[in-house]
Amino acid sequence: MSTPSLTLAVPSKGRLEELTREWFAANGLTITRPGGARSYLGAIEGVPEVTVRFFPASEIARELIRGAIDLGVTGLDLIHETSETGPAAVETLKPLGFGGADVVVAVPEAWIDVTHMHDLADVASDFRSRHGRWMRIATKYITITRQHFAAAGIAEYRTVESLGATEAAPASGVADIVVDITTTGSTLAANGLRVLEDGVMLESQACLFAARRSDSSAEKRALLAGFLGRLGLAPTA
Amino acid sequence: MSGAAVRRVNLEALVEAQGATRAAPPLLLSADAYFDLAGEEFGSRLLLTTDTTGAEHCLRPDFTLPIVQAYIADGVGRPAAFSYLGPIFRQRETGAAEFDQAGIELLAQPDGEVALDQVLTFARAAVSIYGITPQVRLGGVGLFEALLVQADMPDAWRPRIRNRFGHTEALQRLLARLEAAPDLPRAAQPDRDELLEDVTAQMVSSGLSLNQGRGPAEIVDRYLEQQALDAAHVPPATLALLRDYLAISGPALQALTRIEALAERHRLMLGAPIRAIRRHLNALGESPVSFDAAFSPRLDYYTGIVFEMTGPRGDVLASGGQYDRLLERLGATAPIAASGCSVWVDRLEAEVRS
Repeated sequence: MSTPSLTLAVPSKGRLEELTREWFAANGLTITRPGGARSYLGAIEGVPEVTVRFFPASEIARELIRGAIDLGVTGLDLIHETSETGPAAVETLKPLGFGGADVVVAVPEAWIDVTHMHDLADVASDFRSRHGRWMRIATKYITITRQHFAAAGIAEYRTVESLGATEAAPASGVADIVVDITTTGSTLAANGLRVLEDGVMLESQACLFAARRSDSSAEKRALLAGFLGRLGLAPTA
Repeated sequence: MSGAAVRRVNLEALVEAQGATRAAPPLLLSADAYFDLAGEEFGSRLLLTTDTTGAEHCLRPDFTLPIVQAYIADGVGRPAAFSYLGPIFRQRETGAAEFDQAGIELLAQPDGEVALDQVLTFARAAVSIYGITPQVRLGGVGLFEALLVQADMPDAWRPRIRNRFGHTEALQRLLARLEAAPDLPRAAQPDRDELLEDVTAQMVSSGLSLNQGRGPAEIVDRYLEQQALDAAHVPPATLALLRDYLAISGPALQALTRIEALAERHRLMLGAPIRAIRRHLNALGESPVSFDAAFSPRLDYYTGIVFEMTGPRGDVLASGGQYDRLLERLGATAPIAASGCSVWVDRLEAEVRS
């Protein structure tokens, strides 16, 4: 390619897409989607050097970490979950103030003896000798769970991948506890689950991220600095 | 032959010279056993694949597990020795996912201490093929367990402390919590039957099974135990003992002398496990040997003595020890003495090149 350009990926559908476009509009940049909701290519009015791509949020996280796109809007949780090295591979330019939710550890309300992670450590450590299997955790956040449980000194558990209705896993017998994302905790509570007092593993929200790339050209860095300048942001690296 | 080729031939000869059966487990193994034994943390490093039924397999991530599984399947009891040299596969932050390990496994040997000496001698010899004098770090799982059994504290705290041994931050957090335990007057213990009724009702209303996983009795009993524990403090002298003990780290002879002094002050009988560690120092030749009281792998099947050898670059080049609980964990009906080690061939070669 002769003229360097920047690729900005934004969520392709739903509330996240709307809020992202609103945020850019509030900062004087209008994202257009000429082909309508079924098109994956867009632009920013008056900023021809930026190509906009509409992706699912999880793909945006993956492409940012790979360095296949320059900028993207996605959830912090997805950056942490997609790869252990995710947080190091991207730069958080700006938390956008929407899409907020916490990744939390929740246990059945009936587990009155378990209020903190250290209780969970004790329960996990003799779970196997009592029940002939490891304590099971239903989650779609396998990477985040592994990291936080390791930090808490809990090794004796298995994760069960759950791609929907994680909060139902204890009642259906698929798992004993859950690691799930929640905004108010009401879905968890409605399913008889309680977040541990020190059970918030990650406070997530939608952020504007840049891929950290060592190989980008001087022109590209200048383009990026110029674009971020329009948003009142400066790249830190 | 190039230097690397000569070293490889010598390592191959060392592995063959152990008087052991040369083990060559399959490259493709069921992943379940690894998750069961080592948990999710190790699981995240496996190279996984799924067959058409959805069963998970992994590329062989170590030799110990398949060797021990095959040994158990053959009917345990006889003393056996295995050695190996070949590729294993793990996701790593740096370096290729495929790399070689060499090692030995000594199972059901009549004298576990003699077996550990052979393991140490093997590791030392393997490292010296690469011209390296390693720093040897010893840890005493058996020593810590002996101390814990004798230390003055409510019984229920012992497994909680043991379970955190080897995870420095988790153990320090627990000790800090015990030190800060508030001395509040306790409300009267709630009635067990009432609690059982409450918990049962809660479980039923959330649709939880009462007999799969944690049942009401387990929950209530642990709750009451926890209440009692909060009231039953670990004596400050015991907490000081644990802190002092875990902080001991340094040249082996000095460290062991300090532990003996500590044991005498607290009237603990630690003579046998300390003597066991002393006896093995001979097998390590001239290598500088340190003893680190807080050092232990996080896997609970380790017993007795554990070790690792590091090179000038700081990489662990060989690690192993005694793991008498491993075979039981894998289905053997009684504890069986086991010791062994593995040697990181690519790291040894990297030391030579640097």
